Amino acid sequence: MKTRRDCREWRELLGAFALGRLQDDERAGLEAHLDGCAECRAELAALQPVARMLPYADPERFESAPQPPAELGQRIAATIEGEKRRQHNRRQRRRFGGIALGGAAAALATAVLLLFVLGGEEASPERQVKFVSQSGEVTIDATLEPHAYGTEIRMYVHGVESGTLCRVALRGPKGVTYPAGTFRYRWGDDSDAVLSSALDLSRTRAVVVHAGRQTFVAPVNPPVAAINPGSVSTGTPSSPAASSLRTKVLY
Amino acid sequence: MPGRMIQLRNSTRGALSRERDVREAYAAHAGELYGFAVRSLGDAGLAEEAVQETFVRAWRAGDRFDPKIGSLRTWLFAILRNVVIDLGRARAVRPRVAEGGVEPSVEPLEDALLAWQVEEAMRRIGTEHRRVLVETYYRGRPYAEVAEELGVPEGTVKSRVYYGLRALRVVLEEMGYED
Repeated sequence: MKTRRDCREWRELLGAFALGRLQDDERAGLEAHLDGCAECRAELAALQPVARMLPYADPERFESAPQPPAELGQRIAATIEGEKRRQHNRRQRRRFGGIALGGAAAALATAVLLLFVLGGEEASPERQVKFVSQSGEVTIDATLEPHAYGTEIRMYVHGVESGTLCRVALRGPKGVTYPAGTFRYRWGDDSDAVLSSALDLSRTRAVVVHAGRQTFVAPVNPPVAAINPGSVSTGTPSSPAASSLRTKVLY
Repeated sequence: MPGRMIQLRNSTRGALSRERDVREAYAAHAGELYGFAVRSLGDAGLAEEAVQETFVRAWRAGDRFDPKIGSLRTWLFAILRNVVIDLGRARAVRPRVAEGGVEPSVEPLEDALLAWQVEEAMRRIGTEHRRVLVETYYRGRPYAEVAEELGVPEGTVKSRVYYGLRALRVVLEEMGYED
């Protein structure tokens, strides 16, 4: 039986000691050694915090670490790439805006044009408004797009007499109307009429279309389930239903 | 609290504002970050979300990263920690009830970080050291019994416990642990 251990042998017991697993006699011997050995005391001090951390761990998780899916790196790169592009676009717009503010009237006109062009790059918060007369005869689709100058209106009409003059206006918060221009509906023409009004889209409450003798009014904001009663269709007894409209606001 | 993540030795220089830097940082640290995210969120999908958000935030704030203050790894872990807290909050707002109607227990984040550190360190030390620690400490088996099973003297089991703890200490220090 060994009565005297050397320092290395005592030190190799420090793990079991730190975890409270030494028998009484061995523990007493080690404690006596620790009293006289600064090196072993320092070693114990280094092991104790590790011993205190052990209870937090779950041994079921020691064998294999979860690995991130292979495509996660590419997804992150794509996200960053997308955000960089958006930042770049914003910077470009600010740059053009700066020229406009610093410049003369001519430069201002250019800036308005550029805002118009660049504004289209972003996913614009445009609104789509669809009018359907109750009889189902007349359909008007309008897409409203906000711009610095006001609102752009792209309009497609179906079901009115060919050659009908259509006057379009936007209605603001207090019922004030802002003219957006006129167009003439032609059969067989599938192109949109592009109009513009000085009223901001955020302040636009309704789109008003006078098509010949009929007037269609569709609310724009907020989305409304019920119909805004169309202004009376003047003297067209053949289609009284057209004055009452179903409106759908599509986003 | 017995430990905390602090400065690492292998500090990476330079900002994270270039995409190449993000790719390099991802290659170096994504595994660990993901491991910790899974550990603390308990959900692989959320963990992916957390790691993605961490790198995007790091890229956005890339100019603010200063290697003099701490390593890139420490910085990424600090961001991930905030992301995990945010995700935890979002999850708390719309609680998901586990099968059987029992809410999964949510470990405090600091405990999860400690747990993950020890688990990761255990994976990095030698098999023999890990084995004696699992058998004697986590399973609470007598040293003599484990010695017999392994066909070694009991003294060897004790010394493996010692060298195992030492190895853990070294690995934890490499991972950024300081007393």
